[in-house]
Amino acid sequence: MAEPHLEPIPLAAIDWQDTSCLITYGPLPDTLRRSIQAVGLLQIPLLQGRQHGRFRIVAGSRRLLICRELGLEPVTCQILHESLSPEACLRLAVYDNVATRVLNPVEKSLVLAKMLASLPRPQVIGEFMPLLDLEPSSKLLSRYLELQRLEKDMLDALADGTLHERTASALVPLAPSDRRALSALFGEFSFSVSVQEEIIELAVEIGRREGMAPAEVLKADAIAALRREQKRPARHRAEEIRRYLQGRRTPRLTARWERFLRETQELGLPSHVRLVPPPYFEGPHWRLECTFQSGKDLARVLQAVAVMAEQPEFQTVLEGHSIS
Amino acid sequence: MTYLPKRLVIEAAVADTALVRRILDCYSRLPVDWVERLDAEESALGDGQALEVAGFRGRFIKVCPGTRSYLCCGYQILHLGTQCSLGCTYCILQAYLSGRNLRLFANLDDMWLELMEHLRSSPRKVHRLGTGEFMDSLLLDPVTRLSRELIPFFADQPRAVLELKTKTANVELLEGLSHGGRTIVAWSLNPQDLIQSEEPGAAGLEARLEAARRCQEWGYRLAFHFDPLIACPGWQQGYTEVVNRLAATVDPERIAWISLGTLRFMPALKEIIRRRHTGSALLHEEFVPGLDGKLRYFRDLRVEMYRHLSTLLRRLSRDLLIYLCMESEDIWREALGFSPAERGGLSAMLDSRVPS
Repeated sequence: MAEPHLEPIPLAAIDWQDTSCLITYGPLPDTLRRSIQAVGLLQIPLLQGRQHGRFRIVAGSRRLLICRELGLEPVTCQILHESLSPEACLRLAVYDNVATRVLNPVEKSLVLAKMLASLPRPQVIGEFMPLLDLEPSSKLLSRYLELQRLEKDMLDALADGTLHERTASALVPLAPSDRRALSALFGEFSFSVSVQEEIIELAVEIGRREGMAPAEVLKADAIAALRREQKRPARHRAEEIRRYLQGRRTPRLTARWERFLRETQELGLPSHVRLVPPPYFEGPHWRLECTFQSGKDLARVLQAVAVMAEQPEFQTVLEGHSIS
Repeated sequence: MTYLPKRLVIEAAVADTALVRRILDCYSRLPVDWVERLDAEESALGDGQALEVAGFRGRFIKVCPGTRSYLCCGYQILHLGTQCSLGCTYCILQAYLSGRNLRLFANLDDMWLELMEHLRSSPRKVHRLGTGEFMDSLLLDPVTRLSRELIPFFADQPRAVLELKTKTANVELLEGLSHGGRTIVAWSLNPQDLIQSEEPGAAGLEARLEAARRCQEWGYRLAFHFDPLIACPGWQQGYTEVVNRLAATVDPERIAWISLGTLRFMPALKEIIRRRHTGSALLHEEFVPGLDGKLRYFRDLRVEMYRHLSTLLRRLSRDLLIYLCMESEDIWREALGFSPAERGGLSAMLDSRVPS
C-alpha cells in the first residue's frame, strides 16, 4: 500500500456528496474561520484518493468548507491510498477528531452509528464509547443511536447544547408533535434537566391514563394561563406548571398533602414549630422541627406541643382517616 | 395447560438424573443442546423458548427475600427452579432474572439431603416451605412430577407444611397422594378481565377455582393470594365477584389462609412493563416509592382495597386467617384493625395454622 503523501488539491476535485467519513454536525465555528482567515490552515486535512481523480474527505471537513467559503485553494492535503478500507478511514476520522475537540452528542451518535455498520456491537461499546467519554454500555449505545430519529431542529439544539442529551433521549419515543410541544415549553422556562425529564414523564403518563397525547396535556387551561402571565417571574410559573402536572398525575397524594396542610394550619402549632410527615405519608415516622433560643424557650415550645399532641385534632392529622 | 418449549438445554453433569429422564421422555421430539455448563451470559440473553436443566450449586432452601420496613410472613423457599412462562405483565421475575428461559434444577438428591437436614436441625420450629417464589409451583408439574415426591415426603414431617402456589389448573397429579394435611395448595386470584389482560398465559378464574375445589375434595387444605390486588376501574365490583365465586366453589372452613397484597414493584420493572406490555393499563394508577424503594399505590388506596377485601372475606368464615403481604404495622391497624404484634407476630399467626 502506498504511503500517505501531501498534495495540493483543487476544491472542485473533492466529492462533497461523499459523507461516509463525515462525523461533524453543527454550524462552522467562528473561531476556526477567523484562524484560517488570519494564518491559513495549520492542520492539514486528510483525504482519500478515489477514481477519476476525485477525493473523499476523511478528516477536516469543516476546515475545507471554510476554505471553500473563503475561496482559498488549492488546499494542501494529506492523501490516503484508495485501497484503504472504509472502516479504516472512518477510524482515522474519529481518532483525528477526538484528539482535538469534544464531540457534541449528535456527532457521538453519528460515530457510533457509522462504526456499528462495520464493527461488531461489543467492539463499538468497548473501544468507541470510552473514546467518546461515554460509559461503555449497550443501553447507552442504544440511547445514542436513537437520537438520530429526532428532527433537524432538535438535532441542532442538541448539537449547540440548548437541548440536553438526557432530555433528547426522553423525547425520542414521542410523536413529533409531542416533542415539539414539550421542547417549546422547555424553551420558555428554564427547567433543570431532571425536571425536564420529570415533566416529559408526567405528560406521557397523564396522557396514557386520560387517553390523550402529551401535547394535549400541555394545552390544559391552567398551563396556558401560566404561560400567558408574562409579568410574573418565569421561575415561579415554571414551578407551578410542574406542581400542576404532579397534582394531575398523583391526585391522591396531592389531596392528602393539601389536607395535611389545612389540618396543621387549623391546629395552630406554636410559631417556629413544623410538623413533617413521612415521605409520601409512607411509614409511621413523623418529624417535629423547631427552632429555639434557650433551654427555657425550648421547654415552653415542647410543653405547648405536648398539650397539643393530646388533642383529637392532632391525632386526625397523623391518621390517614378520610378514605375516599 | 402444558408448557411447551422449543428446545432443551441440559448440563451434561445432570444427564443421568431421574428429572432429566422424565423431561426427555416428555419432550422426546425437542432438540437438545447438551452443554458442559450453562453459560451465564448466554442464559441472560435467553428468549424464553428453551427449557434449561442444570445442577444447582447454591442453597436449595432460602428465607423469603421479604423487604425491609414491612412485615414479612416468614415463608421459606424451596428453590427448585427459576422463571415462568405465564407472561403476567406485573411479574417481578422480569426485572429480577436476566434470562427469560425457564430453568429447573436436576440435582435433586442434593435438594433432598439439604431439606432433610434443614427440617432435622430445628425440629421445634414450624417450617412453612413453598416452591412458588421464583417459579410457579405447578406449571411444570406434569413434566417433572415432583409433586408426587414432595407431597408424600411432607406428609411425614411434623411441624412442617408445603405450600404449592400456582396460577394454573395443573392438579391432576395431586389426586390420590398421601398428603397428611401437610400440603396446602394455593392460588393467586384476580377478576377474570384482569386475568385476561394482565395474566395472559395463566388459567382463567373458573379453572383455578375448579382446580381448588378438586384439591379440597381430595382432602387438601387451600390458600388464596389476592396478590397483586390491582386498582383498575371497577375493581370493587371485580373483586367482590371473585370472592363470591370463591365462596360458591370451595368450603371456606378449609382455607388455611388468605393473603392480600396490592401491586408493588421495583422501579426497574416500570420500563420493562412499558416496553413488553404496551397495552397494559397497569401503570395508569398513581404510585409512590415505599420504604423499601419499591413503587406502591398510595396508602389511602391500599387501605381502601384491603378493607374492601377483608370485609368480604370475613363474611365467609369467622375463623379465616387474612394477612397482608409486605405492609407496615400502621397499614395493618388502619386496614384490618389490629397489628400482628398484638397476636404474637405474623409468623406465629401463620404457624398456628400448621398441624402439629
